[in-house]
Amino acid sequence: MEDLNNLMIGFGVVFQPYNLMIIVVGLILGIIVGVLPGLGGANGVAILIPIVVTMPATAGVILLSMIYWGALYGGSITSILFNIPGEPWAVAATFDGYPMAKGGKPGKALVLAFLAHGAGAIFGVVVLTFFAPILAEFALKFGPAEVFAVMMLTFSAFVGLGGKSPLKTVVAILFGFILAAVGMDIVSGQLRMTYGTIVLMGGFNFIVAVIGLFGLGEIFLTVEEGLKVEGIKARIGLKDILDGMKDVIRYPKALIMGTLIGCWMGFKPGGATPASFMAYGFTKQASANAAEFGTGAPAGIIAPEAAAHAAGTSATIPMITLGIPGSPTMAVIMGGLMIFGLQPGPMLFKEHADFVWGFIASCWMGNVLGFFVVLAFAPIFASILRVKFAIFMPLIIYVCAIGAYAVNNRMIDVYYMILFGVLGYLFKKLDYPIAPMVLALVLGDMAEQAMRQALIIGHGSPLVFFTLPLALPIMAAAIIIFFWPVIAPLKSKLFGKKA
Amino acid sequence: MRRAEIVVSLLFMLLGVIVIVDSVRLGFMWGRTGPASGFFPFYLGAGVVIASLIVLLKAVQQYRKQGEGKPLMPPGALKPILWVVIPSTAMVAITELVGLHISAALFLGFYMRVVGKIGWTTTLLISIIAPLSLYITFDKLFLIPLPAGLWGGYLLRF
Repeated sequence: MEDLNNLMIGFGVVFQPYNLMIIVVGLILGIIVGVLPGLGGANGVAILIPIVVTMPATAGVILLSMIYWGALYGGSITSILFNIPGEPWAVAATFDGYPMAKGGKPGKALVLAFLAHGAGAIFGVVVLTFFAPILAEFALKFGPAEVFAVMMLTFSAFVGLGGKSPLKTVVAILFGFILAAVGMDIVSGQLRMTYGTIVLMGGFNFIVAVIGLFGLGEIFLTVEEGLKVEGIKARIGLKDILDGMKDVIRYPKALIMGTLIGCWMGFKPGGATPASFMAYGFTKQASANAAEFGTGAPAGIIAPEAAAHAAGTSATIPMITLGIPGSPTMAVIMGGLMIFGLQPGPMLFKEHADFVWGFIASCWMGNVLGFFVVLAFAPIFASILRVKFAIFMPLIIYVCAIGAYAVNNRMIDVYYMILFGVLGYLFKKLDYPIAPMVLALVLGDMAEQAMRQALIIGHGSPLVFFTLPLALPIMAAAIIIFFWPVIAPLKSKLFGKKA
Repeated sequence: MRRAEIVVSLLFMLLGVIVIVDSVRLGFMWGRTGPASGFFPFYLGAGVVIASLIVLLKAVQQYRKQGEGKPLMPPGALKPILWVVIPSTAMVAITELVGLHISAALFLGFYMRVVGKIGWTTTLLISIIAPLSLYITFDKLFLIPLPAGLWGGYLLRF
């Protein structure tokens, strides 16, 4: 019940007129970010960080998170109406959403997607409200060894369960850590890997990397595919809303499956994109009429959309309780918190309870309000994409450049942004995963510090990670998950079953 | 595509070696106050070298068996991408001289007119209004100074 009281206090913060205004502005900006290909959740948030710094902390972080919720909603609009995913997590929505829209029911397809989004989001927020305080209380017992073990678990999840080539994932993670290590050593103050240059002394800022990798990289991919906009005009009538509601009730399995998969994928770092694909695959497998999928099956819209949004909201849990973001966008939001001097982690619940509960209440508010905003104005947002790509693409690059520069007021960062853009394009093409690399860049310093402290505690013996009672199970889980790609085939051989 | 795969994994290996060299210089063992500065990077570098070596070997094996495979880019894709990369790099370079907003105006105008074949009126309107409104928002309202370059301060004086 204490949590409910806290939540009420949080709502008190949210209902302040200024914060309400921030929520609405953030949602609208977020939906626009979601609609535009090339401007995604992660870099949409990153670009805003310089502006947010001028605001009060709670309002600033609320604005950043609203961009994420808005972008989650907005991404599906263009997937369904234009067959162009505005966001990577909305790709799965094109499989059935676009056929349904083409089949003459664009309004219903949109309503289904938004309802699924809303349901997934709310479930994620419920879990956040009641589970996060427990996890934070538990995490208070964590020392450096445990913190490092949790990070190992995070990155193992990418390697073992990420679905990409495990080796390439390892390379991407290590590359992120290496970039994080450039510059001043946080423990001894020595300069590392600067090779006598002044430019490298400042290191690499992950926000710049995010803007380049997700912003420019995404634009290069879009340009390569040659964007042709052929949209379906849509209007959402009352009948569509009723139809959509009926279908959501008719396919409870798709909704529940999507939500649960999303929640799990958001919590175990992975993020919204893999969650949506996984949910689509599972629901299709479990469905009695799998042949219907791909031709506009309602379940094929509900499952991935619920999963994407549930993953988005539940990614907040590890971020706010452990300081480990569950997705790249969450990582940037966490960067925002740290700029305000709010160190995410278990102590945040003790030291800044007002902020934490205001933020959680804003997640409720934003996701519920977002549903109505997107439902009411979807056709208007969709019309943004009728603007020619050659007009908004250079504008996006311009805004990205502003964002990259303003992070540290360094010109070199704008050059880095372009380099990261090319790198992001190459990574995508060669199937190196970007998300774990960004997380490694964000967590690099913290991971190194935790490891070195733990080793000092253990007098230099790496056994310290395996003898402490809390660290051992986490570390063991990390190792098993890391080697899962090797273990899984072995297991199926032993038991004679198909994995 | 496989050739690009091989080149990229070689580059990663090179990077790993560079990191290891500097880690050894800093000391990668136990220092006076615990693990030395090069401790963590040393293992990162070693890990990158090993992991990308395996990626490389796999790619070479596949290349021998199946040849180049799909091209890295679909045919005809390089040109439009270069049409984005080069002008945007130029925008950043020109920023050093005239500041971000003015060089962005040039970039917007160039891309819309030359690459996008947008009409003159739209091009001019957008490439003047967008930088102007962003200039007012960032530099004047939020007081976030954006790069003015060598001469930008003289060109934008209000």
